[in-house]
Amino acid sequence: MFPTPAQLEALNWSLGSSLLQFLPEIALCLGIVTLLLLRMLPKGEQVATGILALAFVLVAGVAAALQVMGGTYAGSIFQGMLTADAFATVFRLVLLCGTLLVMVLIQASRLSEPWEAADLQVLLLGSTLGMLLMVQAQHLLMLFIAVEMAGVPAYALAAFPKQRSVGSEAALKFAVFGAAASGVMLYGISLLTATFGTGYLPNLVNAIAQRGLDLPVLAGLTLLLLGLGFKLSIVPVHFWCPDVFEGSAAEIAGFLATASKLAAAALFLRLLHSLQALQIEAWNLPLTVGLPLGIIAALTMTVGNLAAFGQSNLQRLLAYSTIAHAGYILLGIAVISSTSLPAVLFYLVAYLFMNFGAFAAVTWVRQATGRVDLEAVRGLVFRHPAPAVLFTVFLASLLGLPPLVGFAAKFQLFQAVYQAGQAAPPEWPALKMGWWTLLAIALLNTVLSAYYYLRVVRRMMLDEPPVGEPAALAPVASSPERLGGLLVLLLLLGVLVVLSGIYWHPLLLLSQIAAQTFI
Amino acid sequence: MIGLWHFLAVGAVLFGLGLTGLLTRRNLITMFLCAELMVQGVALNFAAFGRLHGQLEGQLFVIFLVAVAAAEAAIALGLFLTVYRQARSLDVSLWQQVREDGVEATVDTEPLPAERSRPDLLEGVQLPPAGRRPRFQPEEGVIRV
Repeated sequence: MFPTPAQLEALNWSLGSSLLQFLPEIALCLGIVTLLLLRMLPKGEQVATGILALAFVLVAGVAAALQVMGGTYAGSIFQGMLTADAFATVFRLVLLCGTLLVMVLIQASRLSEPWEAADLQVLLLGSTLGMLLMVQAQHLLMLFIAVEMAGVPAYALAAFPKQRSVGSEAALKFAVFGAAASGVMLYGISLLTATFGTGYLPNLVNAIAQRGLDLPVLAGLTLLLLGLGFKLSIVPVHFWCPDVFEGSAAEIAGFLATASKLAAAALFLRLLHSLQALQIEAWNLPLTVGLPLGIIAALTMTVGNLAAFGQSNLQRLLAYSTIAHAGYILLGIAVISSTSLPAVLFYLVAYLFMNFGAFAAVTWVRQATGRVDLEAVRGLVFRHPAPAVLFTVFLASLLGLPPLVGFAAKFQLFQAVYQAGQAAPPEWPALKMGWWTLLAIALLNTVLSAYYYLRVVRRMMLDEPPVGEPAALAPVASSPERLGGLLVLLLLLGVLVVLSGIYWHPLLLLSQIAAQTFI
Repeated sequence: MIGLWHFLAVGAVLFGLGLTGLLTRRNLITMFLCAELMVQGVALNFAAFGRLHGQLEGQLFVIFLVAVAAAEAAIALGLFLTVYRQARSLDVSLWQQVREDGVEATVDTEPLPAERSRPDLLEGVQLPPAGRRPRFQPEEGVIRV
């Protein structure tokens, strides 16, 4: 029960190499402590905390990038609590990129008043730390702690800036729903660990393979995936998403819509692909787990797309579009094959850029006009051509038009689903039909989504601008240099979306590096 | 003889009670306590399985569970306080500012009884000063001490 001296020796020995792998997280922790303690120092309050936090994230990102480029991965670290394989390392890099973008956006739009800036940065860093642990978790205990670490600061983030009452309402709904979802996830974890007596993921997966999917295991897995599905906003647990995204600031909604979804999707992928890696003939994973997940995915994208039709608030519209994209992602995850894994990873990275770009564009609209509904963008191109064109690029990419990155991502994802149908064994005709039906639903959904994306574009490009400025509902940024920084960020994201839509190679390479863990 | 199943049954009942309460109650604090009740049911499960398998892992889970639940409670109660200051009520049905387009706000046919406000209780209460008071200067946005 207690470690022997030999085990303690091994612990000591492995600690150094584990800590080396843990450098990005250590940088984030240092950032949190520094930002919290800074205001105790004399003149500490005058330090630009945003830049400081940005520097810490940058250091963490560089450390993660070096690990990806180094190409050697340590595997299990900290006695198997975490794993530093290629999958986790690439995801860490992508997540840190996402946080970096959010922080730059917050700097450019000056979301927070100076005296609460440090709080905002600390919460962001804490949530990011949780997400980094999420993608590396190899033990159910670690998984639970990581999910909570990512979630709890996010509840508070949704309330920023503090004086808006819709922000409080968003945070309220997020917190209560989130607490319930984490309870459900915990119950699933307790069933799994109670059945097998271990929370260590590789042992657990082996034990599941030997035991088969009986009632406690199935119930445990379902509850666990339901709790994680809350983060990914898949259909039975997606209700929080529109309200939270509408109520919180666009910058924060962008963070929740990209980084948080990415981390949850990574956990789904890790769980399912470690099961698939065992190649258990007896219970045909694509049929027993894959197809039901695929049906949930089809429901998710349909609900998201249909609900987005009548929306007039841009943030709420993007929230439903986020739910629809969660559906596409889940469809790719459900396929569980060696061709679908790189496709999903490509989709996730592409999704980070284009969805974040869309939220950044909404931030621009809010800063320029003081409102975030469709009226705010009426005839935008005649007043401000550059942001209108960039917003159009992001929306077209979310729709999946070539030559943008959204097209490359959707093309590969749908191709993987098609191939899964082709590769289905002839003794399971239901599987082949199932995948192809799901593919048809996904294609139909993509066509349907054109309606609401293009409605925004039409409002910006074709409708006459209103006579005089529309009445602002929120304070409008007066000084032009604030919007200049935002515009530069938008331009950068737009260039990324276009370029990686034409040259697929860099993202393709990244997703293949990450996928090698499970193939 | 009390065995594993009894523990699991009590855990499941606690979890179910918590879930039911969360879905039916409308006082924010009660709702959150119900969410906590769910977590406590899970904690009982963990403790029982730790005993079953003769390991410390189950108890380890419980310790982390309690710590995380405390963190969650701290942030949720902070939020509720902000919300209470704005609405002067903990009724969750008051918070429907953010909702679908074209859907009317639901009208409460049985509102919670109004809370008796006791301003006399707060009169004369003064918190001792904790350190120097920061002076806000919103024009410049920098706190000078």
